[in-house]
Amino acid sequence: MQGVRKNNYTKSLAILVIVIVLFFLPQYGSDYAISIGVLIFLYISLGQMWNLLGGYSGLVSLGQQIFVGIGGYTAALVTEVWHQSIAVSLVVAAGVSLVFAFIISFPIFKMRGVYFTIGTWIVSEALLVFFRNWKFVNYDAGYNITIAYRIPMSQIYHGALVIGIGSVVLVYLILRSRMGLALMSMRDNEGAAEVRGVRLYRTKLYCFVISSVYTAITGVVLYLNIAYIKPGAAFGIDWTVCMVFIVVIGGLGTIEGPIIGAVVYVILRQYLYSFPGISMVILGAVAVAIILLMPKGIMGAIHKKFGVEVFSVRRRIDERLEDGS
Amino acid sequence: MLETLPQALVTGVLLGGLYAIIGIGMSLIFGIMKLTNIAHGDIMILSTFLTMFITQNLTGNPIIGLLLTIVIMMFFAVGIQKFLINKVITKGAEPALLVTFGLSIIISNALFLAFGANTQTIQSPLVSMNLIRTENVSVSMMYMVSFLVAVAVIVVLTLVMNKTSFGRAIRAASSDTVMSELLGVNTKRMYVFAMMLTVVTASIAGMLVGMTFPFYPTTGTQYLIIAFGVVVIGGMGSLPGTLVGGIILGLAQLVGANFIGPTYQQLIGFIVLLVILAIRPQGLLSKAVRK
Repeated sequence: MQGVRKNNYTKSLAILVIVIVLFFLPQYGSDYAISIGVLIFLYISLGQMWNLLGGYSGLVSLGQQIFVGIGGYTAALVTEVWHQSIAVSLVVAAGVSLVFAFIISFPIFKMRGVYFTIGTWIVSEALLVFFRNWKFVNYDAGYNITIAYRIPMSQIYHGALVIGIGSVVLVYLILRSRMGLALMSMRDNEGAAEVRGVRLYRTKLYCFVISSVYTAITGVVLYLNIAYIKPGAAFGIDWTVCMVFIVVIGGLGTIEGPIIGAVVYVILRQYLYSFPGISMVILGAVAVAIILLMPKGIMGAIHKKFGVEVFSVRRRIDERLEDGS
Repeated sequence: MLETLPQALVTGVLLGGLYAIIGIGMSLIFGIMKLTNIAHGDIMILSTFLTMFITQNLTGNPIIGLLLTIVIMMFFAVGIQKFLINKVITKGAEPALLVTFGLSIIISNALFLAFGANTQTIQSPLVSMNLIRTENVSVSMMYMVSFLVAVAVIVVLTLVMNKTSFGRAIRAASSDTVMSELLGVNTKRMYVFAMMLTVVTASIAGMLVGMTFPFYPTTGTQYLIIAFGVVVIGGMGSLPGTLVGGIILGLAQLVGANFIGPTYQQLIGFIVLLVILAIRPQGLLSKAVRK
């Protein structure tokens, strides 16, 4: 027991050091390193949120780009059309995505399994067509998000850092809570979980809403980094492709998975940047190969071989209980 | 609007035939191996590009182009089924779903690399021909041919499934994997045959789509959703259901577009689909069995 304790302290200390090193990166890192950092943190967040649905709740969604798009469009409308601050757009994005997630949960939660998967995709395709024909959002032309040019890169970096680390903390806390237990029991055996008193609908709904709102907030910062928005890109399946890729190569159903996945994804994408077109083919092939060869992803393979877990969501028996006091 | 309604009804029904043949492969795969093939639309568009390429560069005749495409696509089907999907099909629904998702990305981007993002068409004299032309209603030859081909394919497939020992073996493999293995049916081999049947229908659908509508490497997604719609409305795994599903979807799109405006044709299709999914998640025609 003492060993576990000590191990925990070293682990916390290591994580703290990493966070501090990352926090001060803008002071010593090159612009390139900072921009890579921004991408990695934001993609960690996207991956974590997809994993919360697909990896822990059994809700495999191909429609999370809905919320990236909502976040991005909120950022554009709030700053460009209404000339408000970024903070306002974060709040509005959270509000709009909350309401939208709640509304679409009525039809799509009636669907199960693959129906849910495709149902979410249809919603996003419908939104894409709708936005292209909607005057309010400037049809297919979209917006330049000019406020993005005026904020310093280090600020975007710190925003992305907070969102990335926040997503890890949020998922960790959810999984260590009562809801996390409910989620995992639901994923493993829905019927048994329901009989044992897990409220399936409500648990899934909370999980879906949390994931969607956080994805929308990530979307705001993503689009501040991209600086222009169009319906085709905002509601494109490419966002979900990258979420799925990150989670699958990192390890479905692990907290470390999306972190490893995001790092691999962003670096691989940078390497393949000079070969447009072929990069997606290679990414797709890597993902398929990993599903075939390492069904639990890189993290699953590491865990199996070395037994290492950084963020354990398993419950250990408390020492006090063992002593009987 | 009312005077254009008969035209919308006629075109809707005929377009439904084309939708049915797009969806039939997806229905087969789902019925037989309980797999939602996310790559279905891209596999179809791949065959469309192949037919176009062979017709333009080698034969000049789209029918011969189609036959060659079918041969190539069958090899492709054996490859993806034997080496990719069969490896994960026993590990639950998600890995197989994600493999087909990966496949879909690979195919559409490979097409983009090979042919560029340009919009393409397969030339056909049928497009400009009209079977019937009156003041209010005209029937396009192309749409009529698509409809008839769809009906023919559905009839042939239903006969194959119900009357031949091959069809019985496939159905046995789908209804009880363990039992049919015990009785000497190689289920994984049956899955390969099912995928080959699927690409044959997808190739036919692909040629018809390529003649009727312009296409480009990323159109696959659009047809995946149509296929999914057809299959959901008609009930997963039911062959005659796909025709009904196609017609309902086609009618919904064109009648809706007739009253609201042509730019909303796609959107109306999506909304009808979502409503049906929400009200009857198991499909309009299938029995209410939920797993």
